[in-house]
Amino acid sequence: MTTSLFLVQLINGLQYGLLLFLIASGLTLVFGVMGILNLAHGSMYMVGAYLVWYFVEHTGSFGLSALISAVIALLIGILMERTLIRQLYRRNHLDQVLLTIGMIFVFNALQGLLWGNDPLGVAVPAALSSAIPVTDVLEYPVYRIFVALLCVGIAAVMYFMINKTRLGMLIRAGESNREMVECLGIDIRKLYTIVFAIGVMLAAVAGVAAAPMSSIVPGMGEHILITCFVVVVIGGMGSIKGAFIAALLVGLVDTFASVLVPQLSSMMIYILMAFILLIKPQGLFSS
Amino acid sequence: MLFNKRTERIFFWVFFPLALLMPLFLADNTFFVSKLTSIMIFALFVMSLDYLVGRCGLITLGHAMFYGLGGYLFWMIAPEYEAVNFWVYTFYICMIAAGVALIIGFLVLRTSGIYMIMITLAFAQMAFYFFSDSIDFGGTDGLFIYVKPETSIFGLSFFDLDNPTHFYYLCLLSLFNTLVFFRVLIRSRFGRVVDAIHENPGRTTALGYNIFVFRLMSYVIASALGAYAGYLFTLQYGFVNPSMLAWTTSGSALVMSILGGMGSIYGAILGTFVYEGLHYVLEHLTEHWMLFMGALIITMVMVFKNGIAGYLEKLLEKRA
Amino acid sequence: MFKSHSLRTAVVAGLATLTLSTSVTANNEPIKVGMMLPFSGVYGALGDATRNGLKMALQEQMSKLHGRKIEYIEIDTEARPERAPEIASSLLNNSEADFIIGPVHSGVAMGMLKVLRGKDTVMIVPNAGAGPVTGPLCSPNVFRTSFSSWQPSYPMGNVALDKGYKKVVTMSWNYGMGKESLDAFEESFTAGGGEIVKKILVPFPKTEFQAYLSEIASINPDAVFVFFAGGGAVKFVKDYDALGLKGKIPLLGSGFLTEGTLEAQGSAAEGVLTTLHYADSLDNEQNTRFRSSYKQQFGKASDIYAVQGYDTGLMIASAVNQLGGNISDQKALIKALESTTVRSPRGDFTFSPAHNPVQNVYLRTVENGENRVVEIAAPALADPARGCKL
Repeated sequence: MTTSLFLVQLINGLQYGLLLFLIASGLTLVFGVMGILNLAHGSMYMVGAYLVWYFVEHTGSFGLSALISAVIALLIGILMERTLIRQLYRRNHLDQVLLTIGMIFVFNALQGLLWGNDPLGVAVPAALSSAIPVTDVLEYPVYRIFVALLCVGIAAVMYFMINKTRLGMLIRAGESNREMVECLGIDIRKLYTIVFAIGVMLAAVAGVAAAPMSSIVPGMGEHILITCFVVVVIGGMGSIKGAFIAALLVGLVDTFASVLVPQLSSMMIYILMAFILLIKPQGLFSS
Repeated sequence: MLFNKRTERIFFWVFFPLALLMPLFLADNTFFVSKLTSIMIFALFVMSLDYLVGRCGLITLGHAMFYGLGGYLFWMIAPEYEAVNFWVYTFYICMIAAGVALIIGFLVLRTSGIYMIMITLAFAQMAFYFFSDSIDFGGTDGLFIYVKPETSIFGLSFFDLDNPTHFYYLCLLSLFNTLVFFRVLIRSRFGRVVDAIHENPGRTTALGYNIFVFRLMSYVIASALGAYAGYLFTLQYGFVNPSMLAWTTSGSALVMSILGGMGSIYGAILGTFVYEGLHYVLEHLTEHWMLFMGALIITMVMVFKNGIAGYLEKLLEKRA
Repeated sequence: MFKSHSLRTAVVAGLATLTLSTSVTANNEPIKVGMMLPFSGVYGALGDATRNGLKMALQEQMSKLHGRKIEYIEIDTEARPERAPEIASSLLNNSEADFIIGPVHSGVAMGMLKVLRGKDTVMIVPNAGAGPVTGPLCSPNVFRTSFSSWQPSYPMGNVALDKGYKKVVTMSWNYGMGKESLDAFEESFTAGGGEIVKKILVPFPKTEFQAYLSEIASINPDAVFVFFAGGGAVKFVKDYDALGLKGKIPLLGSGFLTEGTLEAQGSAAEGVLTTLHYADSLDNEQNTRFRSSYKQQFGKASDIYAVQGYDTGLMIASAVNQLGGNISDQKALIKALESTTVRSPRGDFTFSPAHNPVQNVYLRTVENGENRVVEIAAPALADPARGCKL
């Protein structure tokens, strides 16, 4: 591998990893704070992509569509938490698994009813549609760099929120001691609603951001869900920092494995996960 | 008594006699006989998972690996154009699967909770890609089994595996045996220790039990039975495909086990029959079966606190 | 939402049986057409299009069915091979279907074949290209109206040679259809002196192509030949364009790369060269009529999957017509099907002894969001049917 190809692959890996972080962050946030294993998280990624496609078709503006989609996702999140998830806080983890699998069925069916099965595509917004030449043949699209920066930005905002704001303080407090927070007169139910809705929105935003550079197809959520879980588990469930580092690790390993050991590339991230869990059974950064 | 709950006894005396007589009513419809057979095979698989998840507290999302292994192992070790003995190969396949489970269990049981879910998934995915990427194992197209085994014991043969009704009874017998086996296991000294570990691992360790060994033994037993289910599945139509090992197979089994009532063992049969039955009815009614299936799953989680078995127990058990 | 149509026909048929119970003949019963197609998930769009085409053809051919009605039984395979034998057995033994149509996915085809080979019901494959179906596992009662995976890709090797390409990278998902397509291309391309400099197999259903495309850019071959379909094809073509390879390294593909995907691919697909047994712009009467009435009925452009479904319908209608509506004699039915010349939108085609279409393969290019014919890449191409004893 030449140096320039190595650098290009490095960027590819980082960019893929950052997108993975964006999808996985909501999952790990919800688990960390609420202890809820939301398997329908991948479905929300799919919903985000379909929503932005739908609104781009009708408004023509990607930015506006992205905003509307994010707000709708937030509302869906609030609705899900208020009507269903809330009933299960005191129940077994596995009941939550069953509930969210039921939700996957419903979301997939609704997607088929509302938007059909044809693969769909969203054009890259005009302002970001140019590309930077890298080699004679290869270019790097500006949109992908933009998405990578967006992911870094969201990671920074999350870091700031959790460590420096009142909401973040409550989240951290809720994570470590639910009863204590309640005793202090904080409405933990409201906090849970907010956190769950933010988690859902993060997945949907990832779907929105990915839409112009991928194809929007039925079942796109399930495939990404597994990869997401790999990221979250390697990082340590509930750790945002862990998810960030694990996402980059998975992105890089997957990218380089594709090129260097193609025979094993399908298994590589699972080998990585098994290896890490055998050394650190609680992931890299578990609390 | 083998069954200590009234609900369990009622279920036992309703289900098995009914299942025993069923083919008489379905004599002219081989499909329904085969459909019930395949549900029973999967129920056996779900039961082995239910023991692990509900009784031992070892949640795995990689159980399908053994299901698929059961099928592929038969193709690997049996000669292609010669009928081998069913019972002998049952023994071989369960033993090899147990060996594999011993190694994998040794690694995965160091973790727990969600980390164990994911590490079992990791191994299952590796196995999935191993078979689906490999040309020698038929890749994504899968493999055919051309000759089914014969079932003689000491020269006496009761089952002809090419006959759907005979195969039905073989699977019913297997399901019956598995249920009884787990009941006996649960009531044994071994089973009591496993229950104690599930309740309170710390205290059980303090009593001087090596909980790792008990967990590993449970994992090996459940995995060998999972492989047996996969072996039966493969024999039913003579077809092996990597999709047997897909994580969705493990996922469905987990759903059926939770639906039936975790850890109740007989609930696995309830969960599988209800899930598969609903699936069958809905997919013949409407193309949007997923919507109704999803809504029903959500409703059932909300209504049943401990699955269908738990709900029935609430209705049928005498209050102490 | 409910399949009221099939329910209604079933009810009507039931009533008819009751009232006419004395004078019932085989000809009054509806012909049962069972469909095993994916109606959900990644392959859902392909299943939808196939079903639309099939129903449209049988509707159009109503007058040739000698008064026999059609009853549809539609089951979603979810593209899960392990379920295939059971569903096939349901259609065979429970529904007692006269024709079983399916599937899209090659793995499902193998599972169906295991149950249906040599049985009394005719199985017609409207898509899955798995070689063995009309190769080593061919059977008198199994037909295919689509293609063998060898067919659309084999002629591309010669096209690439004619264009003067010497070094080519091939790429597909690592599954049966993809590998068979790459092998077929390689067969004709290397026979003519070309060289495959790299063969890339991507784990299915991964769609992160960036690493592979960066590598291809660094190899800088004369051309790239790929097999992808559906959502993966959309993503691949968009990535190829976004990373700047388009216009520098010519992209060749098996035609599925640009079928049912053009709207989603947008301008990224313009100029892509593919070979397939159909093209949107084919200039024949059937095609023009087919395309306009499909668009009218379903509100979207037709694609190859719709054509294959349509041809399956035409084939059934033709056989029923030849036999005067009586399809109870299986030998006669198979004979009638074998001798059918399907007047298809892709041009007329016949069946090989192995029951695979003998058909033209066209070289096409994408122009203004449509697959336009450049030339006939291989006229009346028959699959070699290696290993078939029919």
